Amino acid sequence: MVDLIVLGAFSLIIVAMAAYGYRISAKTAEDYMLGGRTIGLVVMFFFVLFAISSSWTFYGFPGHLYLHGPGYVFFIWGSVAGFAILYMFLGPRLWALAKINRFLSPVEALAERYQSKALRVILAVTMLAFIIPYVGVQPLGVGRGFEALTGMPLWVGATYTAVLLVILVILGGMRIVAWVNIFLGTVYVTALLGSLFWVIAVVFPDGGVVQAAQQILASEPAKLSTPGPQGTYTSVLVIGTFVVGLLAFSWPHVVIGAMTARDKTLFKWFPLLIFVFGGLFFYIIPFVWGSIVAPAALPGVTDPAEADRIVQTVIQTFLPRWFGVFVLMGVIAAAVSTAAVQLMTSSIIVARDVIQGVFKPDASDQDITLWARLSVIAIVVLSLSVTVVVSLGLGDEAMALYLTDVSVPGFAQWAPALVGGLLWKRGTRQGAIAGTLAGVIWLVLGLLVTNEAGARILLLDLHPVILTLPLNAIVYVVVSLLTERPSDEIEDVFFTEVDDFLRSER
Amino acid sequence: MREMLGHTPGRIYLLVLLLSIVLMAVAVFMGATDAPAEGEAILVFGWMTMPLVIGVLFVIVWLIAYLIYFIKYWPYR
Repeated sequence: MVDLIVLGAFSLIIVAMAAYGYRISAKTAEDYMLGGRTIGLVVMFFFVLFAISSSWTFYGFPGHLYLHGPGYVFFIWGSVAGFAILYMFLGPRLWALAKINRFLSPVEALAERYQSKALRVILAVTMLAFIIPYVGVQPLGVGRGFEALTGMPLWVGATYTAVLLVILVILGGMRIVAWVNIFLGTVYVTALLGSLFWVIAVVFPDGGVVQAAQQILASEPAKLSTPGPQGTYTSVLVIGTFVVGLLAFSWPHVVIGAMTARDKTLFKWFPLLIFVFGGLFFYIIPFVWGSIVAPAALPGVTDPAEADRIVQTVIQTFLPRWFGVFVLMGVIAAAVSTAAVQLMTSSIIVARDVIQGVFKPDASDQDITLWARLSVIAIVVLSLSVTVVVSLGLGDEAMALYLTDVSVPGFAQWAPALVGGLLWKRGTRQGAIAGTLAGVIWLVLGLLVTNEAGARILLLDLHPVILTLPLNAIVYVVVSLLTERPSDEIEDVFFTEVDDFLRSER
Repeated sequence: MREMLGHTPGRIYLLVLLLSIVLMAVAVFMGATDAPAEGEAILVFGWMTMPLVIGVLFVIVWLIAYLIYFIKYWPYR
């Protein structure tokens, strides 16, 4: 009962913030979708860090480290570099371009850059196809947390999260989603770090993490180095994992964050926070959890789904039950903070790029805001199908691999068009369409077609991004060079004016 | 990135970032994250595994390079 009261109070805080956001919002599409382009450095940092630090950092990431040793951490090092790359190299140009031309979505910016409605549809559909299931993974994570703590069925926690998400995103819009991430992020870090310190104090009182590491060294030393106990993380896979992490610069819900910035100085200081707070502090917490503390405290788990829950199991085993509720609140915070930004991004793409871009070009500001809000409900319902599939026992892929094996390769398929569109004057419409289509078609077929042993034969059983992204990029470059260069007008609007604006803007 | 390629400090900055990735890859391929043959896994300070140590060093290199370039040379200051 106390559990439900605490979680109810937690939800009320989020709902109250959303309602406040609705009251103060300017009721324009720009305000709803991009927070009026007024997000400052600190809010942006919490907004982006906790948009990317989903319940995956509590379940999938430590669970995978627990099973396979520390090699998977190279995904984090790649991601830290990838986010920095976005904000150092691409962010300022995308921000300036969107601000000058009042673009509301990155897909819209690229469609205008390449002068192609077809590309707009291709990119919108691709991003939605890969982001919506990932939205669904978040309620699933909370559902697992509810299940482990209270014994309630998976769908209870998933539905609770979904309702919270709908209220937050429909009422609050991007600005409040960003503000709420400060609250959610604080709750999550406190829960994750607090539980780590407490468990270490209780289970390893004589030497802390050193004692834990020595215990693993004595019992399962392979868990302290690559390639790990199952020989998974060979040198090639470690570097491949790093490269997959680097692609974080192309995650649509992170890219759109750059468009909400108040001014260009944000791009000067943002990487500092990524390196110091993200790379040298925050991501080390789940790493220590999954690779040192959990294997020493509760060795012997081999099932991937159980490994996904290992941090929570350790907490429930060694700490008082009331603290488990607080930790679950942290997991909900992590899930909601990510899914809310993904939902905002998806709804913007639906309203701005699909509905206004294709079906209703004359839709008013109010119309597309309404469509964005309605699409939030539709996307949440669709994304809950992930929970249904798992509840029915039709699929239960470990969470870590869903992110790195499916979502990231999907997001990566717009990377050549995105990078080329912002940095390469010679990139053409035909190149962007051909490259994106080639990569996406190969990726989708490659993920779907498997042999009897489950190997993805069209991808040569390699990581999905290894063949598809280079093909996409090569086709983009070659076709661009073989087709007529973009007009002088495009060069002026998308390069010269952007450069002038960035050099002059204070 | 276009603005960085347009001046020497920017090109040096990009080169440092690229080199750090190459060096990290070389370290991994040379077995720096593996346990030594017939030996125990290396633990810095008694608990930091080599994948963690290498990653932290990598982030620190990027951090230092970023601080120098963005504070002194970034053209959009």
